[in-house]
Amino acid sequence: MSSIIKVTGLDKYFGRLHVLKKIDLEVKPMEVVCIIGRSGSGKSTLLRCINFLEEPSAGTIEVDKLVVKAGGRGKEHRQLVHEVRLKTGMVFQEFNLFPHMSVLDNVTEGPVIVKGMDRAKAVQIAEMNLDRVGLLFKKDEFPNRLSGGQKQRVAIARALAMEPKVMLFDEPTSALDPELIGEVLNVMKKVAQEGMTMLVVTHEMGFAREVADRVVVMADGEIIEENTPEVIFKSPKDPRTKALIDRYRSGGHE
Amino acid sequence: MNLFQREPAEPKSQAELLYQAQQRKERQFRTNVGLSWGILLLFLIFLFSGNDIAIGSFSIKTINLDQNFIKENMGFIAGGLWETIKISFLSIAFATVLALLAALGRLSTNPPIYALSTFYVSLIRGTPLYLQIFFFFLALPQLGIVLSGTLAGVVALGLNYGAYMSEIFRAGLSSVGKGQREAAMALGMTPRQTMQRIVLPQALRFAIPPTGNEFIAMTKDSALVAATGFVHELMWRATKVGRAQFHNLEALIMAAIFYWVMTLILTALQSRLEATLSKGDR
Repeated sequence: MSSIIKVTGLDKYFGRLHVLKKIDLEVKPMEVVCIIGRSGSGKSTLLRCINFLEEPSAGTIEVDKLVVKAGGRGKEHRQLVHEVRLKTGMVFQEFNLFPHMSVLDNVTEGPVIVKGMDRAKAVQIAEMNLDRVGLLFKKDEFPNRLSGGQKQRVAIARALAMEPKVMLFDEPTSALDPELIGEVLNVMKKVAQEGMTMLVVTHEMGFAREVADRVVVMADGEIIEENTPEVIFKSPKDPRTKALIDRYRSGGHE
Repeated sequence: MNLFQREPAEPKSQAELLYQAQQRKERQFRTNVGLSWGILLLFLIFLFSGNDIAIGSFSIKTINLDQNFIKENMGFIAGGLWETIKISFLSIAFATVLALLAALGRLSTNPPIYALSTFYVSLIRGTPLYLQIFFFFLALPQLGIVLSGTLAGVVALGLNYGAYMSEIFRAGLSSVGKGQREAAMALGMTPRQTMQRIVLPQALRFAIPPTGNEFIAMTKDSALVAATGFVHELMWRATKVGRAQFHNLEALIMAAIFYWVMTLILTALQSRLEATLSKGDR
């Protein structure tokens, strides 16, 4: 099966800092890939380069047969980036719900404004996706009335409503109180089981182990190891992977 | 707020007693402040009541205002209220548009646009408002551009307040977090859609209360427009009758009361607006 995401030779500099070094990564359709690594290893930047929230310094990003080269300029490049963003849904660590809109409007906003869908149809899709994350009953609330876990579930529904080919999750549970993490992970697990292709940057080793088809380990801007969760968690090759997993096993967080 | 809805029979908890004591204290403070205001106001009225009071050999003479003058000219001075409100309203509307444009320019990465915005703000803030009003009224005719007093006033006040208020809008725009823009971009919104749908609505809500304050300040600064001699607002009318009959004391006190009452009403409206906004969906 051909890859739905293909990152080739991706380089990223922040000023003089070399944060991603010649990254190659492929994700197959319906695959769930978790990226783990210490803070500052470049895992979030890698994810954000895929939908061009960060402009890559060099390399190629391919999403569902759309090929975008780094350093592009002009209208054609902007159009390609726009199409890539339509194919990818993104969930942020800080939720980033729109505070001036109700839950329902948060979810209809993308389809109505970006896709030009008529409102009735958008509401139908929004309600279906809110139901999917178990929050249809909150559709008329404003985000400030929701708990962190509920906010993140709405954010997932908002991304799903655009009917993306791939979902990108950027540390979706890192801003949550411990007791709220479970509900978000459960929704993510459900979405994965429904066959969504997912690329998840996470510190949740339990989730990676249980849900991921493949785990990618990053350190110092490089992919140091990738394999099935089985292999990564039972017999990691790289000592840095082993150190990372041991730290979580002993209950420490970073 | 009814935090403690309980059956009356139930014994009061420690927390409730403490809460009630605190509420009582706050109420008492407000009552005492109100009473003191009343006393100060009565004293001020007494000061201008024109009474002679003799206590034994000690006599006090308060300021005597010409009641006839006040009665005769009340209608004339009050007639300026509408003009004052009209100028303030037109000026604040003009200023709001300019301030928003200047704030957007200030955040632009386009050098000429950024320069235009900062140049405008610097020029206006670096010169007196009084001069600006005269400039539009007296200096422009030399170039063949003749503006009516009201129009010159509105242009000058609008330009002036626009420059100061651009800071409010800039703060409003920067108050919208980077994450909001990223979320909009990730959904596929264009920069224009992101600005219109996500950033501006949040920034404007942030900017409404300070804009209200500017409007209140504007109602008072509109008095400067009287200097043109052709705008018959409160201040112009007060000085006109005051000078003509040498009753400046009465005329200016009357105008002051009008301005003050107007400010009190607008401030009350402003705090209600603020309360409504903060109750909203933040």
